[in-house]
Amino acid sequence: MHVQIEDLTFQYRNAKTPTIKNFSLSIDKGEIISILGDSGSGKSTILRLIAGLEIPQSGTIKIDGKTILSHTHFTPPEKRGVGMVFQDYALFPHMTVAKNIMFGLRNMKKAEKLARLEEMLELINLKDFKNRYPYELSGGQQQRVALARALAPAPSLLIFDEPFSNLDASLQEKIRGELRVLLKQTGITSIFVTHDQADAKALADRIVYIKNGTIERIVSSTSLTFKVNRAKEKVLTIQ
Amino acid sequence: MQLIRHAKQHLNIWAILSLVFVAVILFPNLLIGFKFFTEPNENWEHIKFYLMRDYINNTATILIFTAILTILIGTSLAWLIIMYEFPLRGFFRWGLILPLAIPPYIGAYTYHGLLNYTGVIQTTLRNTFDIQVNQSYFNIMSTQGAVFIFTLFLYPYVYTITKSFFQYQSASLIENAILLGSSPTSTFFRVALPLSRATIVGSVTLVMLEVLNDYGVVSYFGIQTFSTAIFRTWYGMKDLDSALKLAGTLMFIVIVVLILEKMLRGRKRYSYASTKVRPIHPKRLKGWKGWLLFAYSFAIFSIAFLVPLAQLLYWAFMTYETIWSQAFFQLAKNSIFVASITSTIIISIALIIANFTRMHQSLFTKLVSRVTTLGYSIPGAAIAIAIITIFISIDTFLAKWDTGIVLRTSLVMLISAYVIRFLAIGYNSVEAGFEKIGNTFTEASRLLGASTIRTFFMVDLPLMKNAIAAGFILVFVDILKELPLTLFLQPFNFATLATQAFKYANDERVQEASIASLLIILISATAIFIFHRVLEKKEAN
Ligand SMILES: Nc1ncnc2c1ncn2[C@@H]1O[C@H](COP(=O)(O)OP(=O)(O)OP(=O)(O)O)[C@@H](O)[C@H]1O
Ligand SMILES: [Mg+2]
Repeated sequence: MHVQIEDLTFQYRNAKTPTIKNFSLSIDKGEIISILGDSGSGKSTILRLIAGLEIPQSGTIKIDGKTILSHTHFTPPEKRGVGMVFQDYALFPHMTVAKNIMFGLRNMKKAEKLARLEEMLELINLKDFKNRYPYELSGGQQQRVALARALAPAPSLLIFDEPFSNLDASLQEKIRGELRVLLKQTGITSIFVTHDQADAKALADRIVYIKNGTIERIVSSTSLTFKVNRAKEKVLTIQ
Repeated sequence: MQLIRHAKQHLNIWAILSLVFVAVILFPNLLIGFKFFTEPNENWEHIKFYLMRDYINNTATILIFTAILTILIGTSLAWLIIMYEFPLRGFFRWGLILPLAIPPYIGAYTYHGLLNYTGVIQTTLRNTFDIQVNQSYFNIMSTQGAVFIFTLFLYPYVYTITKSFFQYQSASLIENAILLGSSPTSTFFRVALPLSRATIVGSVTLVMLEVLNDYGVVSYFGIQTFSTAIFRTWYGMKDLDSALKLAGTLMFIVIVVLILEKMLRGRKRYSYASTKVRPIHPKRLKGWKGWLLFAYSFAIFSIAFLVPLAQLLYWAFMTYETIWSQAFFQLAKNSIFVASITSTIIISIALIIANFTRMHQSLFTKLVSRVTTLGYSIPGAAIAIAIITIFISIDTFLAKWDTGIVLRTSLVMLISAYVIRFLAIGYNSVEAGFEKIGNTFTEASRLLGASTIRTFFMVDLPLMKNAIAAGFILVFVDILKELPLTLFLQPFNFATLATQAFKYANDERVQEASIASLLIILISATAIFIFHRVLEKKEAN
């Protein structure tokens, strides 16, 4: 198992009931997981917990065998090796495309950084745009830069919060396809959150349906449904 | 376990520094509170039985009448400017804020110079029209005079705040009332006033805090209030304990004012409607009605800004040859130096605390925010006396160790006091800036592996440029104008534009105070212009 999430429970400080209840999920290396649920079901919250932006009341998370969250341990977001593509992209408005992509590259020689930048630009097909500022790009281009920025430091897990919601429908379909190819090509493990069935089906190896902060069921792309044991999830992997 | 993990997560450099600053701010307040309940000495008994009544009477009279008058002038101007189109409205819209650029103490000695026996008004009446006036009508050095001065130079607080409330937050309700056939006057009394009660109460509280903070006006006019009493008890009688008790009493009044504000505000707090509210379309007033509004606005603008400005310019013209010298440049340099250093310190502290409170939203950080903005409610005289007490102890301690350092004679003491009093202003700007940029950029940066410190310098700071500049300017101007703290705490042989001007005025050399006063007004007015004219233009687009 590449990513192991166990028994995650979390309640916002000003909320009356837990937003996430006993959430458990294991993910294989290179797998693409989609979390599907209604608005307010806790999708973004799960991602924030995985990223370390919120601190859960209980639960453990291991990535690549390393514990990044447990009862006694909390690894801050900057040390987790989790990359995130935000819903509104969150590209730094005061930096060019190149600066944005290189922001996460540290402990590298200048030449290595530049090489990695070129590699990323190639990947997202925006070579001629590296000196532009984010506001000079279209929505789709911004999204690709956000992806490149998150991929550049080679995170062990990449998470997306509603990556297509800011794009118009025709673009959505096109990018969706491209994204799957791209993710499989880099072999990166990823989770993305959506409330759109079609998105989930087109992209994911497995779909996790959530409702009110708990997993309802998990469906593989080959349409096999697994009933989930609420307390502890033991996923049968199909690949 | 949970606790340890939380502590580890929360105990970082931001938290530690914030806690240190908060403790420093809290300490003088606690000292005043504590001293209030210690055993009093004979002096205090004397003050309590013979003088306290006067202090309370004078302070209360000035407070109440200033509050009433600023509400009348401030809200009426705000309403008329928002609702009607009349000659020069566009100018008055922000021009009516300009009196805020004139610190009340400068207004006080300027008006005294204007109205006294040798002043331009009486001289003209005597020499040109041969009229001898009854001196008592022209004597401004009284509680009524103080109310007059405070009203003129503080009403803009009520005016600006209520104006933007009418404009942005109650626009649709007001327009609806009018569409439903309510006359403008009855709309004002039945819709606008009740709606804006919280806003008006909030703004007039600022006015009252300014009045309580004042030392210059009451001291120049020879009125016995807490500020003057604190000063005299310390300098005249060298009785630090009683001075602290007076400060405690003054703080008690401040607390009463703040509690009254809470109560009068009602349960409904400012409602922040969305920013997309359509502003009210002013109604064009033709003929004499329009000119009447023009006359009202112009009258207020004149007595609160033009007339004192003209008087100061005239004096400046008479005296510039003697004043415009090396000594004057030294004063200006001192003022700018101390204001720049302090503003930089304040903005840095504000950034640290605001960054801490936004990273960890909890009851505790709310409390930290609250304490940070506490200082602005505390009158300068009270802060000053507490700071002196603390620095005397520090110096005694330092002397024991033969360090040879005496902080009381350095700028450290003055700057500490400024920081405590004006941190709120810097903090509010910085906090608004953080709110505006939101948390996403910060979170994105951390997920890209940047520590909180790297994130702060690479992402937060550059995005906050405008908020930081705004905060810096506001603090800078306030320090430039500041009088009581500076008078109390400035080192020997160090004077600023404000204190020197005040000293000239007190030495019956009011003409010579003019250039320093004008420079202060010029810088403040520029800041007001930037904030209200430029920013309002931006909002309009
Ligand atoms: N900062 C917060 N404080 C308190 N409650 C919150 C906070 N953020 C989210 N919530 C609540 O937690 C629940 C889950 O929110 P979350 O954002 O995870 O939903 P979501 O599934 O991402 O919804 P959407 O599809 O609309 O983005 C909601 O009921 C929401 O109101
Ligand atoms: Mg969401």
